[in-house]
Amino acid sequence: MDAHSNFQQHVEPDTIARLKGGDLTAFESVYRQFERAAWTLALRLTGRADVAQEVLQDAMLKAFERARQYRGDAPFAAWLRKLVVNESLMQLRHDRLHVIEVFDDDTLGDDSAPQPWTSADAATLDRALNRLPDDARAVLWLYHVEGFTHVEIAREFGRSVSFSKSQLARGTKRLRELLQPRVEDTPCTIGSTTTA
Amino acid sequence: MHDRLDHHGMNDMSDEASLAAALRALPANTPPQEAWRNLSGRIGRRRAVRRTVWFTLPAAFAAGIALAFAWPHLNLRAPSPPSARVAQTSSSAKPHTRPQPDVAALQASSAKWQNWVQSLSHNGAPLDGRALASAVALQDRIGMVDLQLSAARSPAAAAGLWQQRITLLQQLGLLHLQPYAVAEQTHPAYNRVISM
Repeated sequence: MDAHSNFQQHVEPDTIARLKGGDLTAFESVYRQFERAAWTLALRLTGRADVAQEVLQDAMLKAFERARQYRGDAPFAAWLRKLVVNESLMQLRHDRLHVIEVFDDDTLGDDSAPQPWTSADAATLDRALNRLPDDARAVLWLYHVEGFTHVEIAREFGRSVSFSKSQLARGTKRLRELLQPRVEDTPCTIGSTTTA
Repeated sequence: MHDRLDHHGMNDMSDEASLAAALRALPANTPPQEAWRNLSGRIGRRRAVRRTVWFTLPAAFAAGIALAFAWPHLNLRAPSPPSARVAQTSSSAKPHTRPQPDVAALQASSAKWQNWVQSLSHNGAPLDGRALASAVALQDRIGMVDLQLSAARSPAAAAGLWQQRITLLQQLGLLHLQPYAVAEQTHPAYNRVISM
């Protein structure tokens, strides 16, 4: 798992053992430990708080009810993250949120432009991210934050590796465009100069 | 992650790294406060349902088995057939004399058998196609016997016809008893009929 993932957390073996035994207290401690990571991931992938809430509920419920299926091959956090990713993508498909937007390359920003996200504040970047198409936003997040490879993303989406690469490239371009100030947004000083 | 950078140039790598850093720097979100309450409530409800199912399903299953065994002994059980010794008793009263046909006793016995058959057909399981055809044939034969009885001139002829009618009624009753016989081969009523 990528070191930057919010899921990069250790869970005590004793807690996992109790969780497997159906201990609700152990489950609550796991929930509290991962609620922010799971919520953030669900929110980033689905782009909607109401859907993310369903994802959080369903994924955590599965984690509780299927804890016995966790064999310890991978970190528990990675197993839990997979549940959240699966639920999120399932919700996207189920709720028909998973609309593939056709990018018009002509309208996309210039690749060589400076990276506007370096100077954007968190709220602006957050808003721009939410304006991305679902696929692009999810791929961007899985790739950059959760550290998924294109192969893994393609598997999660049930699509090809090319799909993942294409969504990443186009999503990045679109994000750049969204973060760049529009021409009409810049203050016009010509008029004021002439009238002065 | 061999496929992460394989399609990017140096500029893209810088682009990618800065975007990844910007996205990772976004603060994690906190789920709504009621999320845990909803989740734990959901778990509680599911546990309750599961507990109910675990307790009631075997009980219902056991009750079903018990019902299957007790079915012949319940209210819907096959009514006991009337005693077939009515006519024989009167004939054994005078063992050393020539037996006189007791038409009245046979007539009474026939009426009892008929009541028994009627109660069977009202309370018993519906007959399948083959048994129903046999029942209709038997009823036709009983109708023929009734026709002959109306024209019988001697007590001996009438007694023979009444006895024949009783036999036909018994056969009709046996048809209705078949489902009970499957459920319990040792059913008393069934045995009585067989031994008659």
